[in-house]
Amino acid sequence: MTRKKVKLAYISNDSARKATFKKRKKGLLKKVSELKTLCGIDVCAIIFSPYDDQPEIWPSPLGVQRVLSRFKKMPEMEKSKKMVSQDSFLRQRIAKAYEQLKKQRKDNREKEMERVMFQSLTGSNVFLNMNMIGLNDLGLQIEHNIREICRRMETLNNIATMARPSNEEPSQQVEKSFGFDGQMNMEAMQKQQWLVDLMSTPPQQHFGFGGEEVMQPFADTINNNLWPNPFYP
Amino acid sequence: MSGMSSKKSKGRQKVEMVKMPNESNLQVTFSKRRTGLFKKASELCTLCGADIAIIVFSPGKKVFSFGHPCVETIVDRYLTRNPPQISGTMQLIEAHRNASVRELNMQLTQVLNQLEIEKKRGEELNQMRKASQAQCWWEAPIEELNLPQLEQLKMSLEELKKNVGKQAEKMLIQSSNPPQFFAGSSSNAGGMNLPFDPNNNAAVFNPNNMMPHPGYNPGFGHGFY
Repeated sequence: MTRKKVKLAYISNDSARKATFKKRKKGLLKKVSELKTLCGIDVCAIIFSPYDDQPEIWPSPLGVQRVLSRFKKMPEMEKSKKMVSQDSFLRQRIAKAYEQLKKQRKDNREKEMERVMFQSLTGSNVFLNMNMIGLNDLGLQIEHNIREICRRMETLNNIATMARPSNEEPSQQVEKSFGFDGQMNMEAMQKQQWLVDLMSTPPQQHFGFGGEEVMQPFADTINNNLWPNPFYP
Repeated sequence: MSGMSSKKSKGRQKVEMVKMPNESNLQVTFSKRRTGLFKKASELCTLCGADIAIIVFSPGKKVFSFGHPCVETIVDRYLTRNPPQISGTMQLIEAHRNASVRELNMQLTQVLNQLEIEKKRGEELNQMRKASQAQCWWEAPIEELNLPQLEQLKMSLEELKKNVGKQAEKMLIQSSNPPQFFAGSSSNAGGMNLPFDPNNNAAVFNPNNMMPHPGYNPGFGHGFY
């Protein structure tokens, strides 16, 4: 199938228009038939064209008659609820497409901001060339990411605490979660009650200071790790 | 069409031409195909000047119909077998209707074109992120980072936020424009109030400030804006 983009307007070239009509009409009726078969429903189509005095119909005169009688029996409200014309149908399509567009733009904007953010982390400081709107959005993106990180850190700590009341040794469970060696687990145990208390407080307080304090049970481990951390000498 | 959620759909699959066995699949299929059918009918009307009516009864016994110029006139025209009466008034109505449809089609085309552009840009950004993820561990999804990594990343970001805030304040001082032109600041006359707080005074994320701007300008440019 050729995938040439067709302009959504009346085809002025007579022969092209006639050829398109034949092709698309065939395709349309095929789709109608498929819909009926796949879903086991009543459907009919009536097509008037400038190329024929008689309308082309589907499935058959009898089939159309049946659907039309069923249609006529429906109450006016039911009929008009889902009835569309070109006008209303196009408006619906435009609205849907516009919503998709807005969402895509928002996603792209966030991705752009994240990109600038990550580039700036490596020191290339691209944000120095930004104007106020950009800086504003960048700041919000950074805040957003920090928030996500805090949330994730809290989840990981939850896993550590939840591991406690089971048959298995708590130290083993925490080890499974983080893959640390067994040394730090004693401290983790001691802080667990304190962590539980911390987690039952409202989230706002968490984001303010939860990050640093929650980290303390793992302070020893951090010193053993690859990433030097100026906050935990 | 709408494959924009992060969870990928199964994509194009060959389907057997029998009544669908699964009830919910049937419902979804009906919904999607009905929309597609009306779309094709609409295009046929626009491209070739055809008058069409399609009537569909849903699995849930509701009736959907599409008609151009409208369902009722097509049905009547078919049943009475009379050629359509074209009075002067009707011709005028017809002309208005067609002009309206023409414009709507143009509008739709515009929006769809823009959508395509944005989608391509989105793909581009995804590719770039993937490429840099190979080299920078901190660009990986948050779920893949461990606790020390998260902590370090968090601190680096907080540092960055401070610097961004400093830069913003610097620009505010340097600029001779009064701050009330600043989008997002309510009634902060002459103050150094920024829509985001560099000092983390209040951890409130305002999604209204994340509204996209026309075009791609991520905020680079001369002058205040």
